[in-house]
Amino acid sequence: MNEELRVAVDRRTNGAILYTKGYINNVGGEEIANRAYELMDADARILLLNLRETKIVNSIGISILIEIIEKMMDKGGKIAFCCLTPVIHKTFQIMGLANYATIYENEEAAVQDLAL
Amino acid sequence: MTMAAERQMELTLPMVDDIEIAAARAAGNLARELGMSSEKIDEMTHAIIEACINAREHSGCADNRIYLRFVGTSIGEGPRIDVWISDHGRGFDPAEARSRRPAPGMAHKRGRGLQLIEAHMDEVDITTQQGGGTTIHMVKYEKKS
Repeated sequence: MNEELRVAVDRRTNGAILYTKGYINNVGGEEIANRAYELMDADARILLLNLRETKIVNSIGISILIEIIEKMMDKGGKIAFCCLTPVIHKTFQIMGLANYATIYENEEAAVQDLAL
Repeated sequence: MTMAAERQMELTLPMVDDIEIAAARAAGNLARELGMSSEKIDEMTHAIIEACINAREHSGCADNRIYLRFVGTSIGEGPRIDVWISDHGRGFDPAEARSRRPAPGMAHKRGRGLQLIEAHMDEVDITTQQGGGTTIHMVKYEKKS
């Protein structure tokens, strides 16, 4: 089965937007983490994850997203999400992500609020 | 008397990476045929994914198989999908698993699978015994009365 996750990065002055496409499982979560940690090492302190083309997540993938959030919080930065499907939004709330990362309905609102 | 439209499907899947997607897609296709809304299907497929992952990661079964059965009916207030996911593994104590569950909304890296299943489905019933495998029976309604 080919459920490989793809991540595209739009680098901005003070951060970046990461566009995910595909299933966020353990492998997909690690792919996002690798890109996020590269950006953090390059002093990006605001990362917006646009999940518009991700329709399925699992609890292992989300656990990796929580690790990314924790690492960014340690650096004094911020992770945010936008364009979630209703079921992914509900899943994020149950998993506790919503308490540590802001979730925006669309990218425009996120970019404006985060000054990306 | 109104006849119920019914679809049934049985699958035996190997416990390999991403096999949960095959299970979720099969159930989603069946639900779609019966006219279930995409939001309800998404919730059901996420629950199936978590149940398959739990079986793969925690059952410790020797045959490395997940057994699935889907029954969809459509009558009266819309589709209803019954899902059974079984393994022949070591079984577990659901009460003990629930007692380890972090509070809702608290960030926690693991141990949320059963909680997600219960949140996304309308009914969940677990049959399990030590050394005797586990079956999780879940129901999703288009409209829950």
